[in-house]
Amino acid sequence: MVVPTADSSDETLAARAAAGDDHAFEEIVARYEGRVFRLACRLTSETDAPDVLQNTFLQVYRNLPAFRGESRFATWLYRIATNAALMLRRGRTRKPSESLDAFMPRFDEHGIHADLPAQLLVASRADELLDRQALADKARAGIARLPHVYREAFVLRDLEEMSTTDVAQVLGVEPAAVRQRVHRARLMLRGYLSDLVGVKR
Amino acid sequence: MEYLEGVLTPEVNAALEAHVAACERCTAFVASYRETPRILRTATVVELPADIQQSLRAVLRLRR
Repeated sequence: MVVPTADSSDETLAARAAAGDDHAFEEIVARYEGRVFRLACRLTSETDAPDVLQNTFLQVYRNLPAFRGESRFATWLYRIATNAALMLRRGRTRKPSESLDAFMPRFDEHGIHADLPAQLLVASRADELLDRQALADKARAGIARLPHVYREAFVLRDLEEMSTTDVAQVLGVEPAAVRQRVHRARLMLRGYLSDLVGVKR
Repeated sequence: MEYLEGVLTPEVNAALEAHVAACERCTAFVASYRETPRILRTATVVELPADIQQSLRAVLRLRR
């Protein structure tokens, strides 16, 4: 009997693939290849993403028998993909770290935001002020400028929209650390967005 | 940070919310802080190119 795969849960497919069902594995690849590629681009670059993609699915295939369902399949797969991205980056030159201070909101002596509302709002209008391609290029550059640990947390939490708990699990850190890293990444990126539309933060 | 993350106690949160709502600059700052992830999310959506998809599938067929 042929079991339809299209509406099977990830976990069912994983169990069948682990038992040697190649169609189930192909269905897993079809479901996740686009998402893994996008994640890889966000964590590394479009140049490195194809390698990350291949390494991820080779490892998924090898490790499927060890998947016990302690976490959701998607979380498990994202952990493999994230590690594949981090492995590829390991050994590359470290980037000089930027001080977070430059990205903190500035206040006057009365504790009021030193910038005017229009200046403060500029970052949120970046997508109106720039054309699509320019914004995509700047977004990539901005994310690449982040310190690695902020980038990983931000990509998983804000771009892939995983829960803080899942991100903590994938990165092997406490949820509080995830929240702090994501917060700092947002401050920095908000600053980059203000810069790129030509207004000071 | 705790305010922006929504993890404060309801009392403290309500007090801050009241201030932010009354303060044009805080409102602008919070709005841009909250918009930043959305803008970057949309700007970094990429499709898997067909040639990369094909080579992935070829590699997976060979190695298993």
